[in-house]
Amino acid sequence: MEKTKVKFNFITWFKKNWTESALFSTGVALFVMVILQTVALGFEFDSFGEWFATWANNWINILRNNAGVGIVALGMAFVIISGGIDLAVGSTMVAVGAVLMMIIDNGPNALLASTGITGVPLYIIGIVVAIAMGCGLGQLTGVLVTKGKLPPFIATLGMMKILRSVTQHFMQTNSPKVPTGFLQIASLKMGNLLIMPIIYWLVIAIILYIVSKKTAFGRYVYAVGSNERTAKLSGINVGKVKRKVYALIGMLVGVTAILQVSRIGSMDYANAGSGYEMDAIAAVIVGGVSMSGGKGSVMGAVLGMLIIAVMNNLLNLLGVPPFLREAFKGMIVIGAVLLQKKEEN
Amino acid sequence: MKLEMQNIYKSFGANNVLKGVDISLSGGEICALLGENGAGKSTLMNILGGVINSDSGTILIDGKPVEFKNPVDSLEAGIAFIHQELNLVNDLAIFENMFIGRELKNKYGFLDAKTMIKKTKEIFEKIGLELNPEQMVRDLDTSYKQFIEIARALMMNASIIIMDEPTTSLTEHEIKRVFAMMNVLKSHGVGMVFISHKLKEVVEICNKYTVLRDGNMVATGEIKDVTTDDLAKHMVGHDVRTESLQRDKEIGNEVLRLERLTDVTHFRDISLNLRQGEILGVTGLLGDGRSELFQAVFGDRPKYTGDIYIDNQQVKIDSTTKGLDLGIAYVPRNRKENGIIKDMNILENGSLVTLKRLQKRFFIDRKKQNTEFDIQKDSLKIKMEKKLDLITSLSGGNQQKIVLAKWLSSNPKILIMDNPTQGVDVGAKEEIYDIILKLAGQGVGIIVLSSEAQEIIRVCDRSLVMYHGAIVGEVSGEDMNEQKIMRLATGGK
Repeated sequence: MEKTKVKFNFITWFKKNWTESALFSTGVALFVMVILQTVALGFEFDSFGEWFATWANNWINILRNNAGVGIVALGMAFVIISGGIDLAVGSTMVAVGAVLMMIIDNGPNALLASTGITGVPLYIIGIVVAIAMGCGLGQLTGVLVTKGKLPPFIATLGMMKILRSVTQHFMQTNSPKVPTGFLQIASLKMGNLLIMPIIYWLVIAIILYIVSKKTAFGRYVYAVGSNERTAKLSGINVGKVKRKVYALIGMLVGVTAILQVSRIGSMDYANAGSGYEMDAIAAVIVGGVSMSGGKGSVMGAVLGMLIIAVMNNLLNLLGVPPFLREAFKGMIVIGAVLLQKKEEN
Repeated sequence: MKLEMQNIYKSFGANNVLKGVDISLSGGEICALLGENGAGKSTLMNILGGVINSDSGTILIDGKPVEFKNPVDSLEAGIAFIHQELNLVNDLAIFENMFIGRELKNKYGFLDAKTMIKKTKEIFEKIGLELNPEQMVRDLDTSYKQFIEIARALMMNASIIIMDEPTTSLTEHEIKRVFAMMNVLKSHGVGMVFISHKLKEVVEICNKYTVLRDGNMVATGEIKDVTTDDLAKHMVGHDVRTESLQRDKEIGNEVLRLERLTDVTHFRDISLNLRQGEILGVTGLLGDGRSELFQAVFGDRPKYTGDIYIDNQQVKIDSTTKGLDLGIAYVPRNRKENGIIKDMNILENGSLVTLKRLQKRFFIDRKKQNTEFDIQKDSLKIKMEKKLDLITSLSGGNQQKIVLAKWLSSNPKILIMDNPTQGVDVGAKEEIYDIILKLAGQGVGIIVLSSEAQEIIRVCDRSLVMYHGAIVGEVSGEDMNEQKIMRLATGGK
């Protein structure tokens, strides 16, 4: 057999991957951001060790601060790939968080703690209820979309308004106290590092990556998002797939609620989680998921989240005034979609 | 006004669509333009409408040669083309549609609704149309929408109107109304070209005819001299190769029976049966309801009445998943919209139906997925480079085979194929026919839906003909010929 030796040409290699793989262009964008961020952090340190410690610490902070939205973004990737959208994630988180706090409350009006259930068993009940409630609310959205034939935008906009309003009303007269033990969920130290939220994000991302690639459900999500009609005519129960997708993002929002409560120990019902839906959508879009469905990946959702997170950090390091930062977020979303459009040609 | 088209030639690449066609029409005449799909009717009319240009040939109006470079030229010469897909905006009022793109304005630059309504009324009076110009177009039925287009054409002084299959989507009642309108226009001296497959209607309304076949004009003359049979013969020709593919039939037990299956809008009172190893054709013209009927059988239209029996067991098929579980396979028409998923690769498209079965515990069994796919790939002779290439990298014929492959790996008892050779070249067409015969030999009950009589004759053992949602006849053996099918499909006896 004749061997043809092809000379490696970096430029053509780069061009080919840039246009063909959304993940590649996202990765490159992230790489550039990280370099900029590293430069912005500066090198004026006494030793390499000190520099690295600062650099790594900065990174841990970035990841930890974005783990919550990052987990929601994983679910958002599934929803958008399936052709839907979910605006209710922030409000769902507040509703789940409120119920969770009522359950684990150890203040004077405690529900369960007063019956003698305390400590770990109480936390486990809280966690199970939180995830189940998120799942149930997601399922409800799914039913509205599939059985009620509501456009996902409308169904989740309605859920968003209802959940936050009802939560705020009921929590006016309740002020549950989160037991300190529960805070360990987020703040347990591994070695000397506060990285539990990062680990949760990473583990969930890996599981969902496998689900999206290797299970029938995962592939159905792509099929439904790309061509719902063909999916239906291939004997796929399209409604069931969609309901599962909304239940999934609901569960992930439940996890985020647990994380949030255990990190802060309280919740601002009026503002907590507001903007989560847009941050998660932005992350997913930057990561190469197409709003029209059928295209994108779990990896993309992680990379997209990181790009936005690193950019925030970079703006912070550069001393860009806080009010201007959202503008950069907006620009990066628009830029990412402009790139996607180009790839379609 | 007298219109003549002389010696018109047109080819697309190597495909000669029109080979020297003549047609003429005077004011006050209605000329039927007949021919099978692909005979060149649309091309000829698109040339007249200025949509495309001819390669050679002349168009004369009142003896003077004219040249139509675009639809505007043609319209200014007084020729209006009313397409099958009507060109109206549903969310605007009638008068707004009448003046769309040429709105009248008052001296302040605002729309002059008053004058537009008045002018619309004048035209309506002239053709005896009683409609309120301020009504929304959305609320009109299709025949009235056609009238709006006709009125708009008349307002622009059209004296020749081309009507492309105006009656296909209409009810009997609406068709009567359209014919009445055509007679009014005739009395006003308007000439019309009437494109239709429905010979019964042609004989009823037209006074001249021209038949095209394979780009040639094969017959022309006065309607009063011919019958629908003559016209059908002209359209089909005598020398078409339509011999049935012979095979040893081993017809087994009944697998599917429909009893009085009815859907409110698309089909009614359908009863039929299908046996193992049998190839049943169902044919008809556009709007006959055959596609909708078998969508219902597969579970895509759960709101039917009547009964479905599979293996003599009564079943209720309320979802496509149920259809799949009952052993029905369905290869839809319009592959791009209904058959393939363009963002997925060949392998995934080919195993979409069986994915659930291929999942063991939690994960898809990739090895089994590949083996099952390879079996289908070999037996259907699918040509491809890599299984992981996108489905869109394949030719139409191979894409269609992938759609077939995904269903065959579910081992169906009943295979429904709607337009199985749509957008497939001649070679692949014959291969698909071979596959159909082979599957029947293996005992699968097969239903082939097609509008091409030749296809039905070539592969089917017998065929049902549908017209406006009802079965109007069954043909088999000697009876299964194009003339007979065409006559039944056009509503003749």
